[in-house]
Amino acid sequence: MTTISSNRTGTSSSNLRTDEDVIDQVVRPSNDTCLVEVQSKAGLTAFACSKNESLLLAGLRQGLTLPYECASGTCGSCRARLDSGDVANCWPDAPGHMKIKPAKGDILMCQSRPLGDCSLRVPANVVEGFARYELPTHHNGRIERLDRLTSDVIHFDVVLAEPMSFDAGQFVLLQIPGLEGMRAYSMVNYERRTRRLSLVVKRKPGGGFGDWLFERAAAADKIDVFGPLGSATFHPDEGHDLLMVAGGSGIAGMMSILERATNEGHFESHRGHVFFGVRTVDDCFYLDKFSRYVDRARGNLEVTIALSDAPPQGPVEGAHPDIRFATGLVHEVCGRDMQGRFSDRMMSYLAGPPPMVDGALRTLIGTGKVTPDRIRYDKFG
Amino acid sequence: MSWKYLCEVSDVETNSVKLIDVDGVSVLVANYGGGFRAMPPICPHMEEPLAESGVIANCILTCTKHLWAWDLRNLSMIGETERDLKTYEVKQEGDKVLALIDGELTYDFDEEGDDDDDFFK
Repeated sequence: MTTISSNRTGTSSSNLRTDEDVIDQVVRPSNDTCLVEVQSKAGLTAFACSKNESLLLAGLRQGLTLPYECASGTCGSCRARLDSGDVANCWPDAPGHMKIKPAKGDILMCQSRPLGDCSLRVPANVVEGFARYELPTHHNGRIERLDRLTSDVIHFDVVLAEPMSFDAGQFVLLQIPGLEGMRAYSMVNYERRTRRLSLVVKRKPGGGFGDWLFERAAAADKIDVFGPLGSATFHPDEGHDLLMVAGGSGIAGMMSILERATNEGHFESHRGHVFFGVRTVDDCFYLDKFSRYVDRARGNLEVTIALSDAPPQGPVEGAHPDIRFATGLVHEVCGRDMQGRFSDRMMSYLAGPPPMVDGALRTLIGTGKVTPDRIRYDKFG
Repeated sequence: MSWKYLCEVSDVETNSVKLIDVDGVSVLVANYGGGFRAMPPICPHMEEPLAESGVIANCILTCTKHLWAWDLRNLSMIGETERDLKTYEVKQEGDKVLALIDGELTYDFDEEGDDDDDFFK
């Protein structure tokens, strides 16, 4: 952990538009709580933040519309400039630091905990927002039902002490004792006010959380959860046809969208196209779930598995005649298959490794002439 | 100030971009179907290289990194885009595309932070 000090001491506070009313409203529950002033395009606001909590989570929890995408150190979207005060940087090597200017006092709010009162400038409109269902917050959870789906993919449930409502497509941050930092994973299931979150993790070399899940995690293990987060969400009342392009564990949020769309009859009057990229047939998972969704959609849902490394083999394909198998990178397969079928009634959802998301964006915008307001994804790279 | 030769009209296909070096100045040439634009080679958002991240469709240039986009017909900003695209004046003479280049156009990525009043622009 490193300490970052504002490089503007002396002049900073005079630059803030003072608004004592705003500041006085912030309740300071204990001496461990710091006052965080935020100067944004929308003016001055403030919130209380414990020395043990990141600025981002504390602000979001209290309803402020702080900007973020990954909330876990990779994307740089929660950039702020520290005008006065000191913060501790919980993960100095976070990739998101490449996208900000630490020498000028820029910090990632998701990786910064206050060491005392501080003031920030945030290049966004920060106001008290509204939550569709509930504000994100901290939850206590316990692991249940660990199921290995492939050699490097594991499905597990987290049972919360208190129920959570989330939108299909949202994610939570997970933290386990002894492992610094929070990891972001999208929910696979969809249920209003549920205590059960179903999640899927693909193990990556050097990935501490994946290693823990595969080697040491057991049912009833405690896990800290923060959420729900994310804006790549599905809302049936918007009335869109759905295009989903996902790679690896990026399929998680799509499963949640399919679950909600299926249960609420969305495919009775709208079409859906799912493109799921994995390396080989052995890396496929959730095929039975896909088959059920395709069956219930009565011809309005197509699911295509794109195999990047090897052509499909007989047995798996044969067992799932309702699922299409193709060879190639998932965004290329999508581009070929959807040629002439992109429509302005469509909302597109993307999730997966950053190169896949980049490729899919090029396909959608270049080939599909899809406009950016019809594409939803949370940036993790 | 002078008109500099960029490329032949046929060098840049419709709906594509091409990076060209003009006397040491890196210029991105975009053919949007209705004409050509010449601009600095990076996105004014987060310095992404537009030769790789830029996609043109329906006369709109989109940086696929974070979906900032501009209509190349009138250079208006689309959607969430927050900064104008800077361009060099362009003209066609026969099969040749020329640009008026008087020094390199750049974006000041520090202005947001260097001066308090500019941080939010």
